Amino acid sequence: MTQTLLDVRGLRTVFETRAGRVCAVDGVDVTVQRGECLGVVGESGSGKSVTFSSVMGLVKSPGRVDEGTISFDGRDLRALSPAEMRAVRGRDIAMTMQDALTALNPALTVGEQIAEVLEAHDETLPPRGAARRAAIRAKSVEMLGLVGIPSAENRLRQYPHEFSGGMRQRIMIAIALACRPKLLIADEPTTALDVTIQAQVLELISDIRARLGMSVVLITHDLGVVAEHCDRVMVMYAGQVVEEGPTAQVIGDPQHPYTQGLLASIPRPGLRGQPIRPIEGQVPDLIGLAPQCRFYSRCTRRTDACLAPVEMRAAGPNRRARCILIEEDRA
Amino acid sequence: MSLGKLLERILQLVPVLLGVSLIVFVMMALTPGDPVQIMIGDQSITPEQEAELRRGLGLDRPLVERFFVFIGNAVQFDFGTSFYHRRPVGEVIAERLPATIELSLVALIVALVTAIPLGVLAAIKKNSIFDRLATVGSLLGVSLPGFWFGILLLMLFAVHLQILPVSGRIGFSSEVPTVTGFLLIDTLLAGNLRAFGDACRHILLPAITLGLPMTAILMRVTRTSMLEVLRQDYVTFADAKGLSRRRVLFRHALKNALIPTVSVAAIETGSLLGGNMIVETVFGWPGLGRLVVESIFLRNYPLVQAAVLFYAVTYVLLNFVADILYTVLNPRVKL
Amino acid sequence: MSLTETTPQTHAADSLFRRNLAMFAANRLAMASAVVVVLFVVMAIFAPWIAPHDPNETDLFRRLQPPGWAPGGEWAYLLGCDALGRDILSRIIYGARISIFIGLAVIVVATMIGILAGLASGYLRGWVDVVISRIVDILLGFPYLIFAIGLMAMMGPGLWNIILALAYKEWVIPARVVRGETLATRELEYVEAARALGASRWHIMLREILPNILSPVIVVSTIRMAHVIILEASLSFLGLGVQPPTASWGSMVADGRAFILEAWWVSTFPGLAILLLVLAINVASQGLRDAFDPRFAE
Repeated sequence: MTQTLLDVRGLRTVFETRAGRVCAVDGVDVTVQRGECLGVVGESGSGKSVTFSSVMGLVKSPGRVDEGTISFDGRDLRALSPAEMRAVRGRDIAMTMQDALTALNPALTVGEQIAEVLEAHDETLPPRGAARRAAIRAKSVEMLGLVGIPSAENRLRQYPHEFSGGMRQRIMIAIALACRPKLLIADEPTTALDVTIQAQVLELISDIRARLGMSVVLITHDLGVVAEHCDRVMVMYAGQVVEEGPTAQVIGDPQHPYTQGLLASIPRPGLRGQPIRPIEGQVPDLIGLAPQCRFYSRCTRRTDACLAPVEMRAAGPNRRARCILIEEDRA
Repeated sequence: MSLGKLLERILQLVPVLLGVSLIVFVMMALTPGDPVQIMIGDQSITPEQEAELRRGLGLDRPLVERFFVFIGNAVQFDFGTSFYHRRPVGEVIAERLPATIELSLVALIVALVTAIPLGVLAAIKKNSIFDRLATVGSLLGVSLPGFWFGILLLMLFAVHLQILPVSGRIGFSSEVPTVTGFLLIDTLLAGNLRAFGDACRHILLPAITLGLPMTAILMRVTRTSMLEVLRQDYVTFADAKGLSRRRVLFRHALKNALIPTVSVAAIETGSLLGGNMIVETVFGWPGLGRLVVESIFLRNYPLVQAAVLFYAVTYVLLNFVADILYTVLNPRVKL
Repeated sequence: MSLTETTPQTHAADSLFRRNLAMFAANRLAMASAVVVVLFVVMAIFAPWIAPHDPNETDLFRRLQPPGWAPGGEWAYLLGCDALGRDILSRIIYGARISIFIGLAVIVVATMIGILAGLASGYLRGWVDVVISRIVDILLGFPYLIFAIGLMAMMGPGLWNIILALAYKEWVIPARVVRGETLATRELEYVEAARALGASRWHIMLREILPNILSPVIVVSTIRMAHVIILEASLSFLGLGVQPPTASWGSMVADGRAFILEAWWVSTFPGLAILLLVLAINVASQGLRDAFDPRFAE
C-alpha cells in the first residue's frame, strides 16, 4: 500500500457557456497522503471547489472534466463507469457541503438520510429483514453519537429544520462519515456557522480524522483555519495552483506574491499594529485568458517576463510555487 | 400544523364565502325580468294571487333581509323550487352531481398520470427532442379551446372512425341499477363488465377534453419545479453519497418537486368546474354543468343561482384544500 | 433639477428596454408569432376591405357548401359556407374583431385598474394596502369562468357585459404583480431621492416607480390576453357572448356542432382561428417574458 491516497495530474475542467468556454480548472496537480489533512485556499472562482467536484465525478452540465488523470487508492477514477463511481462516492470518498441547511433534504427525516447511505454501501449489514433495519438504526445512532448529538435515538425521526445550524452541520458530517471513508472532502465546512460553532466543528473533524485515520481535504478561504488544522496547504488562483507546501512554511514564508497578498490581507495576532492591505483588483475573467501569469494584472512585482507562460517551480524541499521570482537553485 | 392555525385558516374562509354568496345573490337580484312573471308564464292569474305568490317567495321584503334569508336557506340546502322541473332545486342538483363528479375525477386522474411522468422526463432530459416536444405540447394544450378540441375528437373518433359514442354516459342496453350514481362503480357492482366497458368508452373523450389544459399546466409545473429541485444542494449531496440514480431522482428530487404540482393540481381542479359546463355541453354529458347551461336559457334562475353558488363554494374549498396540502406536504413551512 | 425632467434612472430603464427589445427580436419563433398576432389585428381592423363577402349575407343555395378545394366547393368561398350559406372565411375575418376587441378591452381595463390598485397598496401601505389586499384575496377565491357565466346569464348578452363579466376578476392579477414590484422598488435610492426632493406621492408612484416596473406587467398582461380570448370564445360557444348574427369565433364553432356528421368545416375553421391567435400570443408572450423578465427564463 503506497502512502499516496489521491493523486491528480494535469486536471482540466471546462464549462461550455453561451459567452464561451470557461476553463474553471486548468492543469491542476493534487496529491493527498494517507491520514493527511490538505488545506485548499483561494477566493471564490479560483477553482478549488470545482477541482474536488471533478475528483468526485460530480461536475454538472454544462461542465465536464476535459483532461488529466485522477488516481485514488490505486484506481483510475476517470476510467470508472457511472455505477462504479457511485460505489466509490459515499463509501471511499465522502463530501460535506458549505451549508447543511441546503445540503440536507428538507422533505426527508434525518434518520432516512443517514440510513440510505449505509443501505447503499455498507456490506457488513445483515442481508435483509428486521435484523438489517435494526443494524442500520444502531449504526445511525452510533454516528450521531460520534458527532456529538445527544439523545440520537429520538432525533432520527426529526426533519432537518428541527435542528440548529451547528447540529445540522454535525448531521451532515455524520452522513459523510457513516461508511468510514478513506477521504473526506470538506467544502467550506464553517462558512455558514457562528464563530464559536466553527471551532467546534473543525475540532470534530480533526478529532475524527485522528480516530478513523482518514485523509481530509479542507476547502476554505480562511488561512487561519488552515494554519490550525492542515498539514499541507495548496493555494489556488484563477483555476491554477499557485503555491503549495507544508503549512508552517507556506504561511511563515510565502513565495508567491498572491499568497503574500492573502496573508497581508488578514489580521494576524502576531502582527498587531500593521495595516491590513487588501489585494487590489479582481480575479481575471476565465474566458479567453492570455497565456501569461494569471496574477499579472494584480501583482505588485510584475515584470515583462511575466507575460510568458509561467510553470510551477520548486521553491525548497516539498515546496512549489508558480512565479518567475523563485530561484530554481534553492531546490 | 397545529389545530389553532387550522381553525384560523378556516375562519379566513368566512369572508370569501360571504363575498361569493353576496355576488351570487346580487346577480340574481339584478336579473332583468321578474321571477314571478316568469313563473306565471301564460297562466291567467288575479293580482291578489300574484301578490300572494310574491309574498310566498319573500320577494316583498327588503334586499338586505332577503340576502340573509337566502344565506340561511342555503346553509340548509334549501334553494327553492326549480320552475322547470317543479321540484326542489337541491334535489335536481343532487341528481346530476354524480355524473359531474365522476367526469371531473377521471379527468383529474388522466391529467395527473400523464402530466407528472412527462414533466419529470422533460426535466431530466432537458433540451432534448423529447423536452422540446413536451414544451410544444403543453403550449398547444393551454392554447386549445376546449369546446373546439372536444368537437374535433368527436368528429374523428365518433363520426369518422365510429369507435366511440357521440354523447351520454352509457348506452341504453347497458343500464344498471343506481347505487352510488357513479357509473364506473355501479357497473362493476352489478358485475356487468360489458356495461363497465361501455361507460369507459363514453367517459374517455369528455375526460380527455376536460383534462387537457390541466395536463398541460401540470406538466409545465412539474418540469419547472423538477429542474429547480435538481439544482439544489441536497440533490448534489445525495449524489455525493453515492446513492442510485433512481433514489436521487425519485426519493430526493421528486418528493420535493411534487409539492408545487400537488397544490397547483388542487387549484386547477377548481377550474375543471368551469370547464365542466363546456365539456358537458359538447358531449351531451348529463351532469350539473349542462343542467346549468340549459337552465340559463330556460330562465330557470333559482337553479342557476344555486348551482353557481355550489360551484363557487366548491371552488373556494378546493383552494383551501390546496393551501392545506401545501403545508402538510412541506415540512419546512411552519404555519 | 426639475422633477418633471427625465431622471437618469428612466434613461437607464429606456436603454434596458431597448436591449430587451433587441433580445426579443433575436428570438425568431417569438418574432414570427408576434407577426402572426399583428396580422390578426390588421385583419380585424381592415375586415370590410379584406373579407371577400358580406359576413351576414345568407344564401340558401350555398347551405353547407364545402371548402374551395373539396368536390362541390367554389374557390370564391374558400373555407366553405355555414348552414345559412354564409361565407365562413368572411365570418372568421369579422369574428377577429370581436375576439381582439374584447381581449384588448378586458386587458386594458384590468391592467389600468390593477396598476392603480397595486401602486396604491404597495406604495401607500397602511389601511389602503389592507383593504385592497383583502379584496384581491377574496376575488382570487372566486371561480373565474363560473362567475362569468353566471354574470352573463343574469346581465344578458352584450359586448359591454362580456367585458364586465371578464374584467371583474382580471384586474387582480396585474394588481398583485404591481404590488410586489412596488414593495421591492419603493425603498430604492432614486425613489428615496425623489421623496427627499419633495415630490408628491402620485408623482413618485406614476413617474418614478411605474416606468421601472412596467416590464413584468406587460409580460403578464400579454399572457393573460390569450386566456381572456379563450374565455370570451367559451362564453360565445355557450351562447352567452355577442348575439347573432354578429360573427364571433366561439358561436361559429357552436353553430357547426349540429353538422359534424356532414359538414366538418363549419366548426373546424373558426376553432383553428382561435387556436392560431391564442398560440401566437402565448409564444410571443413567452418570448417577451424571457427577454424582459430573466427571473422566469427557463
